[in-house]
Amino acid sequence: MLSRVVLSAAAAAAPSLKNAALLGPGVLQATRIFHTGQPSLAPVPPLPEYGGKVRLGLIPEEFFQFLYPKTGVTGPYMLGTGLILYFLSKEIYVITPETITTVSTVGLLVYAIKKYGASVAQFADKLNEQKIARLEEVKQASMKYIQDAIDFEKAQQALVQKRHYLFDVQRNNIAMALEVTYRERLHRVYKEVKNRLDYHISVQNMMRRKEQEHMINWVEKNVVQSISTQQEKETIAKCIQDLKLLAKKAQAQPVM
Amino acid sequence: MAGRKLALKTIDWVAFGEIIPRNQKTIANSLKSWNEILTSRLATLPEAPPAIDWAYYKANVAKAGLVDDFEKKFNALKIPVPEDKFTALVDAEEKDDVKSCAEFLSLSKTRIEEYERQLEKLRNIIPFDQMTIDDLNEAFPETKLDNTKYPYWPHQPIESL
Repeated sequence: MLSRVVLSAAAAAAPSLKNAALLGPGVLQATRIFHTGQPSLAPVPPLPEYGGKVRLGLIPEEFFQFLYPKTGVTGPYMLGTGLILYFLSKEIYVITPETITTVSTVGLLVYAIKKYGASVAQFADKLNEQKIARLEEVKQASMKYIQDAIDFEKAQQALVQKRHYLFDVQRNNIAMALEVTYRERLHRVYKEVKNRLDYHISVQNMMRRKEQEHMINWVEKNVVQSISTQQEKETIAKCIQDLKLLAKKAQAQPVM
Repeated sequence: MAGRKLALKTIDWVAFGEIIPRNQKTIANSLKSWNEILTSRLATLPEAPPAIDWAYYKANVAKAGLVDDFEKKFNALKIPVPEDKFTALVDAEEKDDVKSCAEFLSLSKTRIEEYERQLEKLRNIIPFDQMTIDDLNEAFPETKLDNTKYPYWPHQPIESL
């Protein structure tokens, strides 16, 4: 941990990722730049995905990389062993009961973290992801809502183009109603005039017929009147004679 | 009594149906049915009535001069074209409507611009996993917790949690 602060302080002098690359291929995270005097850079660069690598659960990898060019692979281990033996032998570090507790606690912690660290981190990440997904959903819903509102407005604008049909229908109706009235009036005049002329003609016809009938009746009546009783008797006798003659003729015929 | 040419505009009934709001559907339907009634009546009435056969009447009507008199009066008669008081009203209404439509259009345009601006703002926010709480408050001001109104945690009415 301390080395990391040192590194970041060193990087603060020349804040750029290029310098961080000098520290060797082991550096995985981007160095965060604290208190450079500029206002905070937004957006804040994303947090590193994984914690820094450590060896033996305690000592960061950067230390080993730092010593690698000079002492090779075994360098840090030798240094560590030497230092520990030196402190113990010179009693710079005194073994007390605390040592036992320290060793067991630290060993337990390292073991627990190594075994369960990954799954706990995954669980925490999942919780985070759910939160973010919820926010994302809200954002998408708002965007969709706004988009729908825009589309609706556009549709309304399109409809405005068609407003004139309403008034066209009304005007058509008015024109048609007027035309219909006019034509009906024409037809009515024609019908009335024709009616009157036809009436005259039919009245004439009727009068003529009536006159004819009346004349016939009158002539008949007069003729009947003029036949006096004497003439009637003579006419009837003549008719009977004619009938007898005809009867004789008729009798003669079928015999043949 | 010459026949007149009717200037009827062709109507797109689909569009007519689209622009009617829901609560005026009955009026629109009555307009449509009137249109249909009138077209059918117009179709049944021929443009001019048949001509009267004056020669026949002149030959057959005994009264002298009656037919001539009728003929003269008939030809002199001019049937008044029914006057059109209503097209002017419709035109006035249409002008008003055009004005209100223009107003609506401009309002609608401003609304669309507003919506577009909001959409742009939403599209340009940084991804959520790189935000801090301050960034969130900037992007969505409604998430900002009011420390003066609710000085004690959780800084928002408890019922809304």
